[in-house]
Amino acid sequence: MTVNNRSQRMFHWTILALLTLGAVIAMAPMLYMVATAFKPAAYVPEFPPKFIPDNPTLENFRTAFNSRNFDTALFNSAKVAVSTALLVTTLSSMMAYAFARFEFPGKTLLFYTILAMMMVPTMMLIIPQFILASKLELINSHTGLVLVYTAGGLAFNMFLLRGFFESLPYELEEAALIDGANQFVIFWRIMLPLARPALSTVGVFSFLGAWDEYIWALTVLTDPAKRTLPIAIQNFRGTRATDWGLVFAASLTAVVPTVLLFVFFQRYFVQGITTGAVKK
Amino acid sequence: MKAKLLVLVLIAALALPAFAHAQDDVVTVEFWHTYNEVSPENEMLVNTLIPMFEAEHPNIKVESVPFPYGEFRQTILTALAGGEGPDLARLDIIWSPEFASLGVLLPLEDVMPDYADYADAVFAGPLSTNVYEGQHYGLPLDTNTRVFMYNSTVYEQAGIAEPPATIDDLVAQCDAVTALGEDYYIFSDGGTYGWAVLPWIWSFGGSLTDGAMTTSTGYVNGEETVAAYEFLKDMIDSGCFSPSFLGGGMDSGTGYFTNLFASIMDGPWMFPIAEAQYPDFTIQTALLPAGVGGSISVVGGENIALFVDSETEAALEFLRFTQSDEYQLKMSEVGQLTVKPALLESDYFQNHSYYGTFLQQLKTARARLPHPAWSQIEEVLTDAGQLILRGEASAQEALDMAAEEIDGLLAEYE
Repeated sequence: MTVNNRSQRMFHWTILALLTLGAVIAMAPMLYMVATAFKPAAYVPEFPPKFIPDNPTLENFRTAFNSRNFDTALFNSAKVAVSTALLVTTLSSMMAYAFARFEFPGKTLLFYTILAMMMVPTMMLIIPQFILASKLELINSHTGLVLVYTAGGLAFNMFLLRGFFESLPYELEEAALIDGANQFVIFWRIMLPLARPALSTVGVFSFLGAWDEYIWALTVLTDPAKRTLPIAIQNFRGTRATDWGLVFAASLTAVVPTVLLFVFFQRYFVQGITTGAVKK
Repeated sequence: MKAKLLVLVLIAALALPAFAHAQDDVVTVEFWHTYNEVSPENEMLVNTLIPMFEAEHPNIKVESVPFPYGEFRQTILTALAGGEGPDLARLDIIWSPEFASLGVLLPLEDVMPDYADYADAVFAGPLSTNVYEGQHYGLPLDTNTRVFMYNSTVYEQAGIAEPPATIDDLVAQCDAVTALGEDYYIFSDGGTYGWAVLPWIWSFGGSLTDGAMTTSTGYVNGEETVAAYEFLKDMIDSGCFSPSFLGGGMDSGTGYFTNLFASIMDGPWMFPIAEAQYPDFTIQTALLPAGVGGSISVVGGENIALFVDSETEAALEFLRFTQSDEYQLKMSEVGQLTVKPALLESDYFQNHSYYGTFLQQLKTARARLPHPAWSQIEEVLTDAGQLILRGEASAQEALDMAAEEIDGLLAEYE
């Protein structure tokens, strides 16, 4: 018994040590970014790397926010990312529910056609998409950006949510039908609340996707006042010399909202709401 | 009372279209570039030069649009495919021939009657980077080159009195530096791309192609070019040059500023970096050590080009403004070396603390191949360099293969 206990404890500590090591390795670049953001001038990498700056300063953050378009870009990104997250969540959940529960002609074909679209690489689509956007007058417009991000996010998120809806018990819907609810009420009042963990995953990931997206935004937004955060950060880089302190301060500013979002939505990620909802 | 009101309304009705008309007369010119958003160059452009131009040309508005350098080429090409390109852009000199070959730039001889006056006023080297099939598709905007930068602390420790005048001198100084310790090197650079290896190839008397850019066989795999690569390999193998040529080890700038690397090869932007990050460090410059081909560096810099479907007349006005003494001097103050030889006689350049070496080096410096396929040719060259320096192929073998590939690329444009 004692031997068993001891070996179990040994195992426990070894696992803990390995996990800590893994976490430190994974965190190091992030910590270096934080450290560099507070360094006064960081054009060439120092040797040895310092994780605690000698003369910490907020100067980089000041420079970033005093620059021409950084705060506008922050606002633009928030606007675009929130709109995209709302649209993707709403539309993909409706699509997913239809694919999970309804029968209609061509359903399988349509479903796989939508999924097949995910296999086309984004870079290949950039020029045709740009020409289309230009004809629809969606260049230099946030509406255009949100439309493209939403369209791009629907396939995967619909696939994710369909799986979730399929895992929910039919009996709940049958019970609601007996009580006189129509399909919309069932979807809106019963299925959506149950799908909250999956919906928050979809919401957070579509938010992050739109918040981080770079190439398309760079291509279609040529009005500096309309540009989003990733472009503003890249514009702090120079052709020959880059002050990494400034770039990392700007990146850190961009990371903070996403971390907050995760912390806030984490409780929804917890599964198991349907446990015991139906008596078998 | 009523009559008065009527008169007012009438005046307003007459004045409004006039206002609207005045608004219509203002032409907006989009100028795309890659100045870092918070750089002094960008501040100078946006806060001083554009307002100066707009005050002189009340009917032209210049919109400055910064882009990140890495994606600039691709972004412009995509925008042009959708008919949403800029009026004017500041292009890296290595991109000009490619853009011209795609038919997106306007040949200045055709649209600018006074083009010859402007072309005569700039350095011939940078101007040549605008040529495609005999016509000029832009004017040089700024120029730069790489010079030899040495570290006086390392020199003192190693007992070296003077920077090397020749490549042989550099080799002779190596042992004194490597004797200082394991992390010490006589010279360091960041890779095998054209910007890094071309000065060695040219100084060894080699080249990439014939003058007309029709063949590389006998040039890129010629005796002199092979010798240049063999030299680089020997120096790295013997521990004289740092392994950063292979993409590993310490960054060249870091080693130089922290007194480990005796010398590097770099451009004028290193001075503001030193001032900000290593204020106690003084960069010492000299001409590149000469080989049998001379002391030949590589020309960098940017051109300004006019795009098809642009507001041509207004854009041309701004283009002319960028070639004025005023514009060129102001930009030189923030590290953008002028392209006008006449300005070198000005007090500003005569008294400048470090432009002197750069201007002297520029006299013999050469441009990277002004060819539409340069980006692909450079890839071939970079890969061949890695094969050689890593000892995976002999210099002759790797360069023979490169010559074959480069000939193929050149043939596509004939």
